[in-house]
Amino acid sequence: MPLSDVTALRRQEFARGAKDILPAMPGAAAWGVVTGVAMVKSGLAVHWALAMSLTAYAGSAQLAVLPLLADASPVWLIAITALITNLRFVIYSAALRGWFTDYRRQRRLWLGYLTGDFVMVTFLNRVATEGAFVHRDAYFFGMSVANWVVWNVASIIGIAAAAYIPTHWGLEFAGVLALLALVVPMCRQRPALAGVVVASLVAVLGHGWPLRLGMVVGVIAGIVVATLLDGHLRKRAVATELTS
Amino acid sequence: MSERYTILQMLLIVVGVMASTFITRSTLLVIGERWRFAPRVDAALRYAPVCALAALVVPELVFRQDVLALHWENPRLPAAVAAGLFLLWKHSIVGCIAVGMAVFTLWRLFVI
Repeated sequence: MPLSDVTALRRQEFARGAKDILPAMPGAAAWGVVTGVAMVKSGLAVHWALAMSLTAYAGSAQLAVLPLLADASPVWLIAITALITNLRFVIYSAALRGWFTDYRRQRRLWLGYLTGDFVMVTFLNRVATEGAFVHRDAYFFGMSVANWVVWNVASIIGIAAAAYIPTHWGLEFAGVLALLALVVPMCRQRPALAGVVVASLVAVLGHGWPLRLGMVVGVIAGIVVATLLDGHLRKRAVATELTS
Repeated sequence: MSERYTILQMLLIVVGVMASTFITRSTLLVIGERWRFAPRVDAALRYAPVCALAALVVPELVFRQDVLALHWENPRLPAAVAAGLFLLWKHSIVGCIAVGMAVFTLWRLFVI
């Protein structure tokens, strides 16, 4: 295939990625604005808020470290808290890993760095139906780049307009709703639903645990329950097939 | 707040938070392209994203300032129910966000 055709196809996938991620962008934008506002309102200087937004690209970690910064906590504790808040992305990257092993290492580094909640779910939904389609890296980058731009523009707006956006508007709730919209359709299978219930319960029970470990334990508990139920249902399905 | 830290410490903090992004999101993608997960791990990973999202979202709905708020004065609960129902009905993420924010705001202004 001539090179220009490849480029055209990659552009097409990139554009499709950017388009597919669009429905989730109101949530990402609201969350970005809120993160920007929260950083400035907690007393972080504007240039540091900008630096953190543009490099960290991790709303929940940025929000988690703010109270620690306000308490003048040690630098290592801040880094560890960011790391643990980001732990769900280890799980995401484990789920994505098999789809990207063919690509060059440097590309995989950036594919990983640009992973977001919406991007990961949308990508896994597409490979679940289409398998390892060609130029999936371009598709992934299309989603990620759109998400990155929307998130950072929104963060900068939040940082600049912090004084004019009252916290009682609850703008951050739009981000929660966008994530909720990802969870609900995934609950159609029974094992996933069981996993969601268990993960949520444990995360709620462990909410006061240090370093947000309740969330981590909740995710693991949810995965274990979902996998056990999945295995049980499969066995039962095989058994009914054999007896009928 | 920034004045509680030296410029060097602030730089370390920014780099540390960025490093946490790289470490958690890229490590498993970058290392050892030859090894694969055991089939059992692969099977478990299918349910990992939805569990991670649930553990992130549900505490956001039921806690208000770190206190469990399972009552009608927490506007996020009716808003999430309405948004979830709308999503099941219309399959629209934008609509889900719009309905949720509308119920949240109306509840906050008029019900509580």
